[in-house]
Amino acid sequence: MEDETYTDINGKAISLDCQSHSGLCREFTVSSAKVSIGKVMVYTCSVWLFAYAVFFFTQNTAVLSCAILITLVGMMFHIHFVKVDHESLLVIGSLGIQVSSSYASGRETTTFIEMSRIKDIVINEAIYMHQIIYYLCVLLKDPSEPNAVSSVVPLFQNSKPRLNCLVKVYKSCQEILSKC
Amino acid sequence: MGQRRRSAVKAPSSPSVSAAGEVARVPHKKHKICMVSDFFYPNMGGVESHIYQLSQCLIEKGHKVVIATHAYGRRKGVRYLTNGLKVYYLPLQVMYNQSTSTTVFHSLPLLRCVFVREGITVVHAHSSFSAMAHDALFHAKTMGLNTVFTDHSLFGFADVSSVLTNKLLTVSLCDTNHIVCVSYTSKENTVLRAALNPEIVSVIPNAVDPTDFTPDPSQRQDDTITIVVISRLVYRKGTDLLGGIIPELCLKHPDLHFLIGGEGPKRIVLEEVREKYQLHDRVRLLGALEHKDVRGVLVQGHIFLNTSLTEAFCMAIVEGASCGLQVVSTRVGGIPEVLPDDLITLCEPTVRSLCAGLETVIAKQRSGSVPSPASIHAKVRNLYTWRNVAERTEKVYDRVAGEEVLPLDRRLQRLRTHCGPVAGSIFALFAVMDFLFVLLLQWLVPDRFMDMAVDATGPQGLWRQEKSRKDSAIN
Repeated sequence: MEDETYTDINGKAISLDCQSHSGLCREFTVSSAKVSIGKVMVYTCSVWLFAYAVFFFTQNTAVLSCAILITLVGMMFHIHFVKVDHESLLVIGSLGIQVSSSYASGRETTTFIEMSRIKDIVINEAIYMHQIIYYLCVLLKDPSEPNAVSSVVPLFQNSKPRLNCLVKVYKSCQEILSKC
Repeated sequence: MGQRRRSAVKAPSSPSVSAAGEVARVPHKKHKICMVSDFFYPNMGGVESHIYQLSQCLIEKGHKVVIATHAYGRRKGVRYLTNGLKVYYLPLQVMYNQSTSTTVFHSLPLLRCVFVREGITVVHAHSSFSAMAHDALFHAKTMGLNTVFTDHSLFGFADVSSVLTNKLLTVSLCDTNHIVCVSYTSKENTVLRAALNPEIVSVIPNAVDPTDFTPDPSQRQDDTITIVVISRLVYRKGTDLLGGIIPELCLKHPDLHFLIGGEGPKRIVLEEVREKYQLHDRVRLLGALEHKDVRGVLVQGHIFLNTSLTEAFCMAIVEGASCGLQVVSTRVGGIPEVLPDDLITLCEPTVRSLCAGLETVIAKQRSGSVPSPASIHAKVRNLYTWRNVAERTEKVYDRVAGEEVLPLDRRLQRLRTHCGPVAGSIFALFAVMDFLFVLLLQWLVPDRFMDMAVDATGPQGLWRQEKSRKDSAIN
């Protein structure tokens, strides 16, 4: 299963790691590329060059300190809130699903959905920006009315893998869900 | 995936000149059709039901059909209807009367995405009022797909708005592969408006579902004669004529009742007439009707009256006749072609002529010399069926699939020679920009990064296989 290569919807390479802890417990981790140093350089240079251009005309040094501050804060904001390195989905039969994403800075967010609230896991289609994409989502139900879908939790929202990757995750999730 | 896609596009276009006959010899080629129109359910109307019924019959014949329309309120995204008919509700801005705005380009990214991921081979646009349909034709030609257009309405030639619309239609249809009209009158009108070669225009009428419109004489009141009118109450449908007919006939025949279904700005005309002549017990205005309620109203009447001033193909009179009513109609547009002479009484669109026509039918009704509702229904039921429409549309697709899509240079030439020096040049420029935009999009989001959609209908349709598997499981 390692020989198959996966990409996200923009054609960037991602990797899928499936770990089978036991018959009823599997973990899927989708990792996307790290922040590239080239990209950081380009953004930093463009902000600084712009600041120097403004400084050249205004002769105000506050502009330069501002530029440094902006790049630093921007970079921290990016790695702390925007850039996601890994997204993982832990499916434990009869217990629930844990969805976690770890940001480039090391920050992690985790949510757990218990099995009584899960109706199903499906692959759905949606219009995203100017594209139509497939995505994996968990359908939630209200325990009081078990036949209706109360809300939808999309999975792998940041890495957005393509269909072949989603199908693989979907199939092994269904294996576990069908057992319990 | 990109490779597969490219070969699918080129297959019909590149060998076309030599292989045109070859394709014609293989009539059971399955197509992947995308129907595009601004008008689709939940909006109600003739175009909407036409698209839905035609798609269902094409799916039954084994073709893959998807529908693209704009988002209606909260209904956006991708939906599946009966038998796996897939509908894309694309989030495009609605301008006027449920029609999207024509900036020509803004719909391209999403429409391209639909065409590419569904592997579409034929784009079928509906209704000349729909801006999205024209946009889709324009983009499909740029992307090298075969195009078909169905015109559902008649237009004038005289006023400014129709002159402009006709020019747009000329531009839009001058390089479309095939055009379908709903009646011969409509064909003549479209050929003249868009300066087309009549050979690429086919006539395929609309249809009604005869099982939905069956007669039921027990619903009628035998001591009175009821005239049913079902139309939108607008100028085009001749509501003013109706306002003239009602008092004149009600005065002469004390047992005459009117049942009027439909809503519109001209309702006030009928209400005034009712007020003035104190006809509240004899003229009933039912307001807007849902399609499923129409039959229940039709079967209560003896005579169906249609007062349209312009009509490409009148579905209402077929529905009326199918319910076993005597039909009286104005002789305008494509109406004379619709029903055989013994089922319809045609009049000039004047109050006097319509009254005279109604009088003769009322006299016939009183003497009991009219054919029974069941016999009228038996005559009408096989005249217009959706299966027949789908069969004829399929032939159009077969023919179109063998034709070549004009390459850009010849398309520009065609635009400039057919559409006049000014409009032609402007739209030639648009065509070039559209082509460049497609190139840009192909660079930004290459075809090979787009997931091919899983087929619900068509030769590899999963929906049907699942159904047959379920059926076999039951057996």
